[in-house]
Amino acid sequence: MSAATRIAREEWRQWRRSRLAVFALSIFAFLLLITTILTATGVLEDRHDRLHQQEEAEATFLDQPDRHPHRMVHYGHYVFRAPAPLAVFDPGVDTVTGQSMFLEGHRQNSAMFADARAEARTGGFGALSPAKLYHLFLPLLLIALGHAAILRERESRTLGPLLAQGVTGAQLFAGKALALAGLVAVLSIPALAASLIGISLGEPLLSAIALYLGQLLYLGVWATLILLVSTKVRERGLALGVLLFVWVATALILPRIGVTAASASLPIDGKIATDMKMKDDLRKLGDGHNASDPAFEQLRANLLAEYDVESVDELPINFRGTVASQSEADLTDTLNEYAEARMAQEAAQSDRLNRLGWLSPYLAVGSATRNLAGTDLRTHHRFLREAEGVRFAFVQGLNKAHIEELSYADDINRNSGEEGWKRARVSAENWKVVGEFQFTPDPATTRLNRAMQGLAALTLWFVILFGFGLTAARRLAP
Amino acid sequence: MMRSIFREWRFLRRDRAAWLWLGLAFIVSLTAVTLGLIEIDNQRKELADLQTLDAAERAVVLAEQSDWGSAGYYTFHLTADAPSDFAFAAIGKRDVSPWKHRVRMLALEGQIYETDASNPDFALIGRFDFAFIASLLAPLFVIFLLFDLRSGERAAGRLELLEASQGQRSLWPIRAGLRIGLLTLAVVLPLWAGGLWSGASALILLLATLAVALYLVFWGVVSLYLAKAKWTSSVNLTVLLGVWLGLCAVLPAMLNTAIDRAVPLPDGGEIMLTQREAVNDAWDLPKAATMTPFIERHPDLAAYADVGESFTWNWYYAFQQVGDQTAEPLSQAYREGREKRDHLTGLASFISPATALERGLERLAKTDTRAALRYEDSVRDFHAELRDYYYPRLFEEREFSVDAAADLPQFDVDDQPETRS
Repeated sequence: MSAATRIAREEWRQWRRSRLAVFALSIFAFLLLITTILTATGVLEDRHDRLHQQEEAEATFLDQPDRHPHRMVHYGHYVFRAPAPLAVFDPGVDTVTGQSMFLEGHRQNSAMFADARAEARTGGFGALSPAKLYHLFLPLLLIALGHAAILRERESRTLGPLLAQGVTGAQLFAGKALALAGLVAVLSIPALAASLIGISLGEPLLSAIALYLGQLLYLGVWATLILLVSTKVRERGLALGVLLFVWVATALILPRIGVTAASASLPIDGKIATDMKMKDDLRKLGDGHNASDPAFEQLRANLLAEYDVESVDELPINFRGTVASQSEADLTDTLNEYAEARMAQEAAQSDRLNRLGWLSPYLAVGSATRNLAGTDLRTHHRFLREAEGVRFAFVQGLNKAHIEELSYADDINRNSGEEGWKRARVSAENWKVVGEFQFTPDPATTRLNRAMQGLAALTLWFVILFGFGLTAARRLAP
Repeated sequence: MMRSIFREWRFLRRDRAAWLWLGLAFIVSLTAVTLGLIEIDNQRKELADLQTLDAAERAVVLAEQSDWGSAGYYTFHLTADAPSDFAFAAIGKRDVSPWKHRVRMLALEGQIYETDASNPDFALIGRFDFAFIASLLAPLFVIFLLFDLRSGERAAGRLELLEASQGQRSLWPIRAGLRIGLLTLAVVLPLWAGGLWSGASALILLLATLAVALYLVFWGVVSLYLAKAKWTSSVNLTVLLGVWLGLCAVLPAMLNTAIDRAVPLPDGGEIMLTQREAVNDAWDLPKAATMTPFIERHPDLAAYADVGESFTWNWYYAFQQVGDQTAEPLSQAYREGREKRDHLTGLASFISPATALERGLERLAKTDTRAALRYEDSVRDFHAELRDYYYPRLFEEREFSVDAAADLPQFDVDDQPETRS
C-alpha cells in the first residue's frame, strides 16, 4: 500500500470516528437524496404532462368545425416544451421562463405558466434543486470536513514525525487529496444518479457524462482550495475564516453583484417602451384586417396588373386573404426584429455575467451545468424561435386557405345575415396546417461547446490550485 | 457593567478576524444599499419617461380617431406603482410582479397578467439588496463572530481562568452582545444613510433597525447556546453552519413548496386564455349571447341591447367585458389564492426567522404581496373607470372630438404611494 493511500485511509477513519462528520455527511446525503428525488419526479411529471398537452392541443385544433379561416388565426394554437432529460439535475431557467406558449395571428406572446408572482414569498434561496445544493452548499460541507486535513497533523504535532519517517510533503498532499477525492466521489453519487436518469430518458451519453464530470471538477476545485489553505495556514480559525470568506465572496456576493452590474451596464429596454416603439413601426404597415387600408394600395395594383383585371372582385383569388397574408409577413418581420434584438440583449447580458465565471467557480459551474443540461438561456431562446416558426407557418397556412378556398364575394358578405355568415367558411380539412411539435434539446456536442468556457475556467482553477497546493506541500515543514 | 464593556471593547479591538467580518458586513451592506438606491432611481426615471411618452402618444393617437369606439381601441393608459422611499432596501415583489402596465378598453384579464420579464439567467441568481444582506448574509457574520468565543478561549487555555474571575453569566452575553451590537451597526448604518438620502421616514428606519437587531440577537443567542466550550472551534462552526443552512435555505424552501402545494392556483396564463377564448368565440356566436350577460351587468344600458347584425363597437366592447366576466371565477380564485398563500406565509414566518425578516422589510418597503395586490386593484379600478367613461358615450352615440375626450380618466401615478400607505 502506498504512503498516499495509507494517509487517505487514516483520514477516512478520522471522519468515521468523528460523530459530527458522520452526522453532517448523513444530513447532506439525505438532503441531496430528497432533493434529487423531488426534482426528478417533478420533472418527469412535467415531461409527461407537456407531451400530453401538446397532443391534446393539436387534436383540439384539428377538431374545430368549418369556419372562416381567419377565425382560426385568432383561435390560436399552443406549443409546449417538455423539460430536457437533464433538467432532473438542474431545471435551470425553465423554472423562471415558463414552458408553454399560446400562438395566434398578429402577435408574439411570451412563454406562459412561470408564475413567480403567485409564489409564496418565504425568503431564503428559493426552491432547492440538486444543482443548487451542489453549487451553493456542498462547498460548505467540504470546508467543514476538509479544512483541517493537513492542519490537524500540524496541530497534533504528528506532522514532524510523519515527515521524519520519510513521508514526503507531496505524498502527504496526495494522500489528503485522495481522502477528499473519496469524499467528493461519495457526495457525487446523486449527481451520477441524475445523469443516469437523464440517459434513461434519452439523453446522449456525452452530455450526461460531461455534466457529471463538471460537478466533480467543481467539487475538485473546492477540495484543492481547501487543501491549499490547510497546507499554508497554521491556525484552524484562520483557515476556516479564509475558506468561508472565499465561499461568501464567490458564491453569495460576486454573482449577485455581477447580475446588477451586467443589467446596469447593458440595460434592456422595458416592455412598455419597446411596445410603444413597435406599435409605431407596425402602424406604418397597415391593418391586415382592413383590405382598403392605403398601405395595401401597391399590393392591389400589382395583383390587378398580374391577373390583368380591373377590380379586386374579378381576381381569381381572395384579395382579403392576400392582404392578410402579406401583412402577416410584414408584421412578422417587424416582430422578429424586436424579438431578436431582445434576445441578443439578454444573451449579451448573460455573457457579461458569465465572464465573471473566471473569478467565481460558482458562476462557471452554474452556466456550464445549464448549458449541458439544455436548461440555459440559449435553449430557451431557441424554443421561442421554434415556437415563432410554428406560429408563422400555421397562420400563413390558414391565410393560404383564405386566399384559395374562400371566394372574395362570400368573404365580403360574411356580415350580411346568418346565410352570409355560413357561406364565409372553409372546410375543417384546412386545419391540418398545424403539424406536430416536439421540442428537443440541442445536440450534445453543441451543448458541450457552449459549456466550454465554464468548464475551461473550472479546469484552470483546478490546475492552478493543485499546482500551488503541491508546491506548498513540497516545502512543508513542521 | 460599564467596566466590563470597556474591557471587552479593548479586548475586541485586538481581534483582527472580528474586524474583518465587521468590515465586510459594512461593505456589503453599503454596496447593497447603493445598488438598491440606483435601481429605485432608475425605476423612477423610467417611470417619468414613460409618463411623458404615454401622454404624448395618447395625444397623437386621439387626434387620428373619429369615433369613441376607435378612441377606446387605440389609446393606451399607463398605470404604475411608484416605488416607496424605502423600496431600495427590499426590491421584493417588484422583481417578479409587474409594477407598470399599459391598459386599454379591451378585456382586462387579457392585459393584467402581462409582465416585464427580466433576464431569466439573472432571476436564477437573485438580487443583491439590503433584505438579502440582512436576512441571509448577516446571520453568517454572527456565526463567524461568535463560533469560537468560548472554544477559542479554551484552546488558548484561558477559559477556566476567565470564567472563575468573571462569573460566566455576565461575561459571554457582554462579549457576544458587543459583537452583535457592532454588527448591527455595521449593517444598519448604510441603511440609515440610504434612508436619509431617499427620504424614508424615521419610523420606518427605526422599525427596520429594530427588526434587524432582533433577528441578529436571535442568531447571537442560537450561536452562543449551540457553540459549546467543550467542543473544538471547527465542530462549533460546522454545527452553526448547519443551523444556518437549515434556517436560511432548507426551511424557507420547504415552506414555499408546502404553501404552494397547499393552495393550488389557476395561473395567470390560464385566466388569460379563458378570457381570450370567450372573446374569440363571441365573433361566431349570435349577438344576444354577448348582449344578455352584458346587460345583466349593466342594466342601465338595457335600452341599447339590440346591436343589429353587423359589426358595432358597442357589441365589440360588450364581448370584451363578457370575456372578463367569463374569466371572473378563475380570476377571483387566483386572487384569493394569492391572498391565502400570503396569509400562510405570514403564519410560516413564526417558525422561519429568515422569512419573518424578509417579509417585514418588504412590508416596510411596500414591495410585498399585499402591495402588489393593491396595485392590481388600482389598475382594475382604473379600468372600470375607463369603461364607465366610454359606455355612455358609445351607446348614446355621442359625438367624438379631441376636445370632448379631454376629460378621459387618468391614472394618477404619483398619487399612489400616499393613498395606499
